[in-house]
Amino acid sequence: MKLKTQYKKIILFSAIVLLGACSGEEALKESQLDVSTPAMSTLDKWIETNYVNTYNIKVQYKWDQNVVDNNRFLYPPIQAQVQPALEIVQKIWLQSYSTIAGADFVKKIAPREFVLVGGRNLNTTGTITLGLAEGGQRITLFETDLVDKKNRDNVKRFVHTIQHEYIHILNQYKPFDEKTLSKITPTGYTSNWYATSTTVAREEGFITDYARSNINEDFAEMASTMLVNSKAEYDAILAGITSVKAKADIKAKEAVIVKYFKDAYNIDFYKLRDQAEKNTLAVING
Amino acid sequence: MKLKNILKYLFIAVLAMQLASCDNKEDVDPIFDQTPTERLNAQKKELNDLLESSEFGWKAVYFTDTTQLGGFTHLFKFKSGSVDMASDFDNDTAIYKSEYGIELGSTVSLVFTTKNKIHLLSDSNNFPVASLRGKGYKGDFQFLYYGQDNGQIIFKTNRSFEELRFVKATAQDWTNLALNRAMIPNVVGASTRPLFRLLETNDGAKISQFDFNFTQPSRFAIANSIETGSSVSYNMGIAYTPTGIIVSPAVKVGTQKLSEFTYDATTGNFNATGTAGVTASIKYSNKPLVLTDDYKILIEGKGNPATAFAYIAANLATAPSNSLLCNTLLNQVNAQLSSTQKLSRVQFTFNNPAFGSYIEYRFNGGKTTIYHNVTVTEDPVNKTMILNHVSWENNLGAIIAEPTLLKNIDKELLDTKGLYVKRELFKIAFSNTIYTFTSASSNFRLTTYAFQ
Repeated sequence: MKLKTQYKKIILFSAIVLLGACSGEEALKESQLDVSTPAMSTLDKWIETNYVNTYNIKVQYKWDQNVVDNNRFLYPPIQAQVQPALEIVQKIWLQSYSTIAGADFVKKIAPREFVLVGGRNLNTTGTITLGLAEGGQRITLFETDLVDKKNRDNVKRFVHTIQHEYIHILNQYKPFDEKTLSKITPTGYTSNWYATSTTVAREEGFITDYARSNINEDFAEMASTMLVNSKAEYDAILAGITSVKAKADIKAKEAVIVKYFKDAYNIDFYKLRDQAEKNTLAVING
Repeated sequence: MKLKNILKYLFIAVLAMQLASCDNKEDVDPIFDQTPTERLNAQKKELNDLLESSEFGWKAVYFTDTTQLGGFTHLFKFKSGSVDMASDFDNDTAIYKSEYGIELGSTVSLVFTTKNKIHLLSDSNNFPVASLRGKGYKGDFQFLYYGQDNGQIIFKTNRSFEELRFVKATAQDWTNLALNRAMIPNVVGASTRPLFRLLETNDGAKISQFDFNFTQPSRFAIANSIETGSSVSYNMGIAYTPTGIIVSPAVKVGTQKLSEFTYDATTGNFNATGTAGVTASIKYSNKPLVLTDDYKILIEGKGNPATAFAYIAANLATAPSNSLLCNTLLNQVNAQLSSTQKLSRVQFTFNNPAFGSYIEYRFNGGKTTIYHNVTVTEDPVNKTMILNHVSWENNLGAIIAEPTLLKNIDKELLDTKGLYVKRELFKIAFSNTIYTFTSASSNFRLTTYAFQ
């Protein structure tokens, strides 16, 4: 017998010994962990129907320390504010995309989880974080308690967050034309973006102050600002800019965005914007 | 040794290990008679049963960070997943309902999963002092269960591991919660009370005094020793109760720790009593805690140079160092003048070579200046400067009768016990040194600029 064969046999033998070695005789019992389904409230059922079943998106409104930054001083939303906030997101964001891009669009590319936080996420520098998109899977929305369905500016601010974060998710799915965008206002980006106001940023060719932080945020801010404003409001923003170059730069960025939506997802961005506006009006007047 | 042999030995070694691997240890007694999961489940149930067991729920005075913040009283009543809660965080002491959960993390913990009063301590956007921007009141609402002690539930906060005890609440705790709020003005200190505040400790033999300063938004007080060379200080977070305050860390007097102070409405003092004559009191004083010699340069007949100090209404009317009584008297003067006239200046001149010492009352709106000539003597024991009446004079140098207009305010300045003079460290609007003049027998304090 060759040594190799001998080894093989030994290995086989020891494998059998190992497998049979520690066999227990007690039968498995039921889990000691609580596996029962918790009772669902009316709110839970509403979420189940409108988010989980329809879009496969889980909504977490009860506090779970594992999904929120433990170094921040945040708290869960007032329960009564959860559904109104979710209705706004559903109507203005989910349904606008469904109408224009097809019913399955957001089902395929969407975050799988929403985390709702009640209050403002104020940073020690004085800036406010409105939302977070982690790995394209989870979107955290702050300021749920402050949502007021009847107030247009308030609704716009809240929806801006989700539109902004969703643009990031779309970008993670299919990248945008970074080369073209980065050439428009190459020197204007700064990590100290919050030192200057949006008005100043606009005169330098950025749609908001935060757009100055880097080209990814520039893209997301540009697209989300267009989506939360009506055509008339957006035109008014442009009309308010004095610098001719800044205005041209913003128009050039707009073109990058429109092209991206067409090329990557075959979406007419202007139609999407108009649909979002229609739904925004429906929410405010609803 | 050849490779072949090495492998052989290795195999033998592995085989030997396998044979020994299934050593039966079941005859060793297990330390616990339940599995870890069973024990954790039992602990979860124990905590929930405990929370639900108290008839009137639980009370917790939550000190979030005793190095810079005070305590906030919370009342809880637990019932199958929902909790009724009230707190003295703000004036809304009503009861609100929300949800709670018993969770398993590093240990079993209680977490308030939907919004209620306790979350107000953890709002990044609502902070008491600028240094806590983005941190709120540093509160937690997830508490790790550390067992029971004398009917109290011991928790540690999730983030900073501060101990937090839940004590059985009474029906009275719920009805009296609003009284905690009513205690706040007493801690802040009434403007009708004397101007100086101190913490006084008595260890049975020795009395020590500490300058006491309370910051209402953060519910935190700083008390530094007034004894020269002593660096002892008591910094404490304060929580309100219907009858007084609870401080944390406790005030250590001798070997005793005093943390519960009772309010005395007559004196405005907060008193804590230990055993064997040990006490601590937060009280008021008419007399400054530290008497300065700043008055000495003003006294006449000691070869002092000419000096001048002025209260200038345009810049000092809003000075926080003016007392309520001072502001009232200044307003009283203005109220007696016509609408276009105002008292613009109260100026002291000391040791002028030509005119001696006098108080000068200046007005704007066309009213002429009035002078009150005085002599300046001292009370070396109480360290005050005393202004003594000589004569009233108009702007033309004629002697006049005492003007009714200035009677009340002038009476304070000429207090028979004198004025405490203090060179302050702060500045207001200009680089001039600020001096305050405080009556030794009333709540009068005037703020002035020094002109030299």
